[in-house]
Amino acid sequence: MSASRIDVGNRLDRRGASPSREATPSARDFVLEVSDFSVHYGVDANMVRAVHDVTLNVRRATVLGVAGESGSGKSTLVYALTRLLRPPGVISGGRAILNVSSDDDPARVTPVNLTTASERELRRVRWSHVSIVLQSALSALNPVRRIGREFDEVLRTHRRAMSRRERRRRAEELLALVGLEPDRLNRFPHELSGGQRQRVMIALALALDPELVVMDEPTTALDVVTQREIITELAELRARFGFAMIFITHDLSLLVELADEIVVMYAGTIVERASAGELYAAPRHPYTLGLLESFPPLHGERRELTGIAGSPPDLAVESVGCSFAPRCPFTMDRCRAETPPLAPIGETGRSVACWLHATPSPVPVPAALSRRWTAPVGPTAPGVTSR
Amino acid sequence: MRMILRRIALYALTAWVAVTVNFVLPRLMPGNPVQTLIGKLTGQVTPNEIRAIRLSFGMGFHEGLLAQYGTYLNQLAHGNLGVSITLGAPVSSILRASVPWTVGLIGVSTVVSFLIGTFSGAILGWTRGSRFDSLIPTATFFQAIPYFFLGTVMLLIFGSNLHWFPVLGAYSANVTPGWNWAFIASVIRYGELPVISIVLSSVAGWMLGMRNMMITMIGEDFVLMAVAKGLARRRVIWHAARSAVLPSIANLSLAIGLVVSGALLVELVFNYPGVGDLLLQAVLNEDYPLIQGIFLVITLTVLAANLIADLVYLALDPRTRSEAAV
Repeated sequence: MSASRIDVGNRLDRRGASPSREATPSARDFVLEVSDFSVHYGVDANMVRAVHDVTLNVRRATVLGVAGESGSGKSTLVYALTRLLRPPGVISGGRAILNVSSDDDPARVTPVNLTTASERELRRVRWSHVSIVLQSALSALNPVRRIGREFDEVLRTHRRAMSRRERRRRAEELLALVGLEPDRLNRFPHELSGGQRQRVMIALALALDPELVVMDEPTTALDVVTQREIITELAELRARFGFAMIFITHDLSLLVELADEIVVMYAGTIVERASAGELYAAPRHPYTLGLLESFPPLHGERRELTGIAGSPPDLAVESVGCSFAPRCPFTMDRCRAETPPLAPIGETGRSVACWLHATPSPVPVPAALSRRWTAPVGPTAPGVTSR
Repeated sequence: MRMILRRIALYALTAWVAVTVNFVLPRLMPGNPVQTLIGKLTGQVTPNEIRAIRLSFGMGFHEGLLAQYGTYLNQLAHGNLGVSITLGAPVSSILRASVPWTVGLIGVSTVVSFLIGTFSGAILGWTRGSRFDSLIPTATFFQAIPYFFLGTVMLLIFGSNLHWFPVLGAYSANVTPGWNWAFIASVIRYGELPVISIVLSSVAGWMLGMRNMMITMIGEDFVLMAVAKGLARRRVIWHAARSAVLPSIANLSLAIGLVVSGALLVELVFNYPGVGDLLLQAVLNEDYPLIQGIFLVITLTVLAANLIADLVYLALDPRTRSEAAV
C-alpha cells in the first residue's frame, strides 16, 4: 500500500513531474514561486498547522485564484508569503521566491527569497513589486488622513525623485483609472462609499506598477452590483497593465470569471489545482464539488444548493488520513488511514489530492467528479456547462 | 466651522449656568452666612467691609433677588469677586497672586507627565512583550503610593538629606520677584522636585493608556497596510500612534481642567503658595467670598480646558466633524 502511495505521487514524485528550479526555462515566467510552504500559529501543544506544505507558482500577468472556506488557511498563506503575518504566526518551512524585474530593464530578473529577506530587502520590494488589497477598505485606510496623503506617502517613499506636484498628478491619474474624480483625494475615508473606498485601495495598489497584486477578498464586503463592477474593472486593469494577481475568496463562482488558474484550499493544504474553466465545469475533488454547489450559478437552470455538511477540522489536532474524509460523501477506508498527496491526474496540468483519482482507480470515480471538459473556443462562459 | 461655533455656544451656556449656580448656592445654604460672619467679626470689620461682604453674596439690604443677581453679574464682569474676610484683601487680587503658581507647577507637571507617558507608552505598545515591559510595574508602583507619602519621602531624601534640591517655597528668599533671570531660575530650581514627584506619581496612567491603545491600533488593518507599503519603521509607528493618542488627548483635557484644584497635597508637602493651600485655609476659616471665588475660577478653568480639548479633537479626528451633518 505504501509503495503505491509513492507511485501515485508524493512530494518526491511531484518534484519529478515539475521541472526543478534550475531547470525552469526562465524565472521570468513566474513572478512568485512557492515550495513546501508551511505556517504555524503558536508553539508546542497549542500549535495550529494553518498552512501545510503548499507548493504553487504564479505565472506573470495571470490571475491565480485561491478558494476555500473560512479557516482553510488561504489568508494565512498570502500574509505569510508577503511576510505580513503577525505573531503568533510563524513560517515553519518552505520558501517563497519573488522574481523581481528591475525598473530600467524588465528582462533582467532578480530572485528575492521572501522567507529569508531582511527588513530592508522587504521594504524595497513591498508595494513597488508586491502590493495588497484587503477586504475592508474602511479599516485599511487610516481614518484620520485624507485619501491624497495615502498616495503621496507611497510615492514619496518609493519614488524619491518625484516632486510634490508630480505625485499629486500621479494620484489623480490613478483615481481616474478606477473611475473616481480627482477631488476624492481631499476626502477622508469615512466620506466615501464602500465601493469608492475599495476603488481607492485598488488605485493605491497600482500606484507603483507592481508585478504582483494580492487581493484578500476585496469584494466580500460589497453589494453584488458593486462587486460585479469592480471585478470587471480589475480584469480590464490587468489586461492593460499586465500585473499578476493572487485573488483570495470563498466565492468560487467569482473566481471562475477572473482567474486563469485556481487552487482550492482545505484545512491548510491545496486539495485541487486546475485552470479556472476546468475546475468549474469538471471538479475532481469532492470538496471543490461541494464549494461549487454552495453558490447559485449566474446563468443556466436553477438547481438546489446543497453545501457541505459538517465543519472544517480543528487544525490543532494532528489528524490521520484525508482531512476532508469526515465530511466527504465518497469516503473509503483508505481515506481515513492515509493522507492523499496533491498529485497530477491524467489531464493537462491539473492536480488533485484525492484517493478516488489514484491509479489504478480503486473504485469507479463518481459521475459528479469525472465530467469531461474541453476548453471552450471563446471566452469562458461560466454556468452554461452546469448540469 | 459651524461645528466650532456650536461648541463655543454650548460652553458659553455652561459657563453662564456655572456662574448662576455660584450665585444661588450661598442663598440655599441653611442660615445666613453673612450674618454669621458679621457676628463673628464684630468690632474687627469696618462698615464698608460689612457692606462688601453683603454685596459679594449679592445680599444688598433692600434689593430683590433679581436685582442682586444683576449686581453680582455686573461685579463679575468687572472682575470684582468681593473681599476676603480673613485676608481683608479683594478676592481677585488674592487669586491673581496664587493661581499662576498652581497653574505653572501642576500645568507643567501634567504636560511633562503626559509627554513622557504617551511617548514611552507608544514605544512599549510597539515593543510589547519585550524587556521594556518591566517599566510598567515600576511606574504603577509609584502611582500606587499615596502622593503625600511619596512627596514627603522624596522631600526628606533628596531635599533635606542629600540637598540635591531646595526645599520649601516656590523661590529663594534672596531673589526679588519679577521678570528677571535670577528669579525665573530660582522658580525653576524650586519647582524641580515637586514636578518630578508629580510626574513620577502620575506617569503610569498615561503610559498604560497609550500602550493599550497602541496595541489595539497595531491590530488594525491600516497599520498592516503601512507595513505592506514598505514604509520605514518609524513611519509605521507614527501611523499607529497618531490614532492611538486620541483617547489620551481627551484624558489630558480632563487632567488640565483639574490643574487648579488638584494641587492641595503637593502644595502642602512642598509648602508651595498655590490655590490648593488657599482653598484649604478658606474652608477652615469659613471665608465664603474666597471659597466662592476659587470655585468660580476652578469651574471656568475646567470649562476652558474642555473647550480647548474639544477643538483640538475636532482638528485631530476628522470623524468627529461629520457629526454636524446628522
